[in-house]
Amino acid sequence: MTTATAPSDRSGISRLWNTTGITRLRREGAVAPITAFLAFFLVYVIINPGLLTRFQLQTAGNLVVPLALAALGQLIIVLVGGIDISIGAIMSLANVVFATAMVSLPVPLAILAGIAAGLACGLFNGYLVAYLRLPAIAVTLASAFIIGSISREVMDRPGGGITPEFYLATSGELLPYLPISIFWLAIIATGMWFVLQRTALGRHIYGVGSNIDSVAAAGLNAKRAQLAAFALSSVVVSLGAIMLAGSTITGDPRSGDSYLLSSIAAVALAGASFTGGRGSIIGTILAACTLGLVGSLLFFAGINSYWQYVISALIVISVVGIPVIWKRLYLALRKAHA
Amino acid sequence: MESQSTGGAATKVAAPPAPPSAQLVAANLTKHYGAVTAVDDVSFYCLPGEVHALVGENGAGKSTVAKMLAGAVSPTTGTITAGGVELNTGRIRDARLAGVSCAFQELALVQDWTVAENLALPDGSPLRGFSQRGATRAAEALLAELDLPHIDPRAQVRTLTLADRQLVEIARAIGAKPKLLILDEASSALAPPGVAWLFSRIRELTAVGTSVIYVSHRLKELAEIADRGTVLRDGRVAGEFSRGKWTENQLISMMAGREASRAFPPAPPLSVSERPAVLDVDNLIADGINGISLSIAPGEILGIGGLQGHGQAELLRALYGAIPATADQWSIDGHSVKHLTPERAVRLGAGYVPEDRKTEGLALEMGVGENLLAPWFRTAQLGGTPRLAREKPWMAGVLGSLSVRTRGPLEKSGALSGGNQQKLVFGRWLDRDRRLILLHDPTRGIDVRAKQELYTAIMGLSAAGVGVLWFSTEVEELVHVCHRVVVLYEGRVADELSGARLTAEAVVGAAVGSASQSKEQL
Repeated sequence: MTTATAPSDRSGISRLWNTTGITRLRREGAVAPITAFLAFFLVYVIINPGLLTRFQLQTAGNLVVPLALAALGQLIIVLVGGIDISIGAIMSLANVVFATAMVSLPVPLAILAGIAAGLACGLFNGYLVAYLRLPAIAVTLASAFIIGSISREVMDRPGGGITPEFYLATSGELLPYLPISIFWLAIIATGMWFVLQRTALGRHIYGVGSNIDSVAAAGLNAKRAQLAAFALSSVVVSLGAIMLAGSTITGDPRSGDSYLLSSIAAVALAGASFTGGRGSIIGTILAACTLGLVGSLLFFAGINSYWQYVISALIVISVVGIPVIWKRLYLALRKAHA
Repeated sequence: MESQSTGGAATKVAAPPAPPSAQLVAANLTKHYGAVTAVDDVSFYCLPGEVHALVGENGAGKSTVAKMLAGAVSPTTGTITAGGVELNTGRIRDARLAGVSCAFQELALVQDWTVAENLALPDGSPLRGFSQRGATRAAEALLAELDLPHIDPRAQVRTLTLADRQLVEIARAIGAKPKLLILDEASSALAPPGVAWLFSRIRELTAVGTSVIYVSHRLKELAEIADRGTVLRDGRVAGEFSRGKWTENQLISMMAGREASRAFPPAPPLSVSERPAVLDVDNLIADGINGISLSIAPGEILGIGGLQGHGQAELLRALYGAIPATADQWSIDGHSVKHLTPERAVRLGAGYVPEDRKTEGLALEMGVGENLLAPWFRTAQLGGTPRLAREKPWMAGVLGSLSVRTRGPLEKSGALSGGNQQKLVFGRWLDRDRRLILLHDPTRGIDVRAKQELYTAIMGLSAAGVGVLWFSTEVEELVHVCHRVVVLYEGRVADELSGARLTAEAVVGAAVGSASQSKEQL
């Protein structure tokens, strides 16, 4: 009958902790990755104060933004209870299609071509998963091979017609100390937040992942929501591919490969539920920033970069594990107190 | 089979001619699932402002009929007309647009979401806006309008009691402002005050001309709320009835196709036993339980009463070791207990039938046989087909003695009807040398026949000297089948009733904390 009420002490911290926004972040599992990012950022700046120079900020931005966009794409698929193994391949395809189109087409059309290529992949995956009810992991694994081959067919070695102007537009500086890549990321993430949190479609996407039967029983089109999630994801990933092409000034048929596992790691670090229905956009972005900067932190700390993966793994395990352990401790303490 | 009608309105009618003013006309509905005919030529109608009951045993087809009306399932043949619009698409959205909304028996809420988010889920197109604040405000308004002030729209549905979840589900269906409301076993988790709440909402709706299809097993409720009704048996219409012109026995015989009595079997007499109490616990403390002392003698059936959410569920879980608990003194069958885990509880001779058979009781994807054996698989034991073959006599005995309707141990347990699933959860403890059985409302939402079969089996356990701790939301059940009843209130024992003091009035009185005049309404 009684639902959990606020704790008895009405201190400022407790009130802040229970405001609607924080409660939602907590429920989406975003508190841990946000805290982890702040701690990581602090350590990074202590080891390498040079991060806060214009050049290094710009480099760091260019490094993390494609990863953040890939992770956001992965997040949407994870939200509907799937996983996208083809995310790296989609990224490569959008990347090479865009770079090739830049040779002959005006920039807006080239961007549209890149997005269209990614969207086609997303719709293909989404149709097989939502309407034919095939498991997402099998579908996307298969399509990863297909898409990978197509990318190499489009462009078999790095190249393409990306101009220095485009580099400046995607990877330069908007204002001093504000890399333009971060600006674009913010725009895309806000758009995605709007779709997921401020439209009914977003609710449907979260709902399909939480409990597909409930959504169907409420009289909604669960299949369409799943398809929409795959489509939305592929668009976000394609935008990441275009950002990547801009910052490297080339198209490369293998440019997306390394983003598959990093995107899954970032989503895990963000506290999203891999059975679907729970995951935070801000948490995912900050998780991607953390993982994306581990490599350069080690470089500045003078540690062999092979340790990058071990450090990333430790970060993921501790960020996912500490809240669990903390909760147990808290409960045990409270019981001992009572 | 002939229906045993003895005059009155409870007669078998072929196909009622629907008056043109009917809000809902279901004509000759038939539904085949493969070779199985779930519903066969069912016709009825419902007038505006009328409560039409659908009654029948589990597997009689009433849930399938309700799902067809709600648009969750499309009929193989036959037509459904709601407010003049024909609905046969099997799409819930179409039904909703035609003014039909349904509170489903299997709760259709997203557990991870807040009440507000769930209430906001059904409406509108995908491109419509959504905001947490707006949804919360709308939910607050709806819950206030429906007189459910104790439900917090910001609370996660997962944290609510089953009864509150059911209230939210009903509120959502009513909130859609339907012309036809379908309540599929909507009262199954509600305590008497919750049922009273539901009935006053139904009366408000019917007063403004809304029709209600009321699917229920509880005959007492039908007497109060149903204007007319249709009895289903084996997918066919077995008869119809209208207000005031039927008796419980008439309905039961129509449902069962035989003269069955609703009488509860008497608890077997308690024999004085040499053996120690099967359960003895002193000052048990756990989350939601504030010091409960109990003792159960071998063969004794101890009932647990009280309104939902006063610690009954927690008590059973704690006694089974499923949640952490401490006690000053605690023993099961004479063995002292310190830190109980379910595994250890089973080893000491306890068994548990949990609240929700679908999520806590069964592995729905696994077979009937493997579900029966679930507590008996040890890590280093034989599994798979050889194990099933070895346990065949035991499984056949359990399935037979409980009359589980299944194709055999290999059938997927998710394919069974609710009553039969419940028998599986219960049956795994039969003939396994149990000392103590903990039952969480084992007869909730199952049909009359399955109930009788469960009663018989539980009485059999009691006669064999097994102690039974039985939490039931049905007061009549507690009063009739238990030797003794303990009523919980706010995690404590409010009263202990036995002998002449064990009456329905006493149980209800103690449950609402009549001494302390609780503020609790539902």
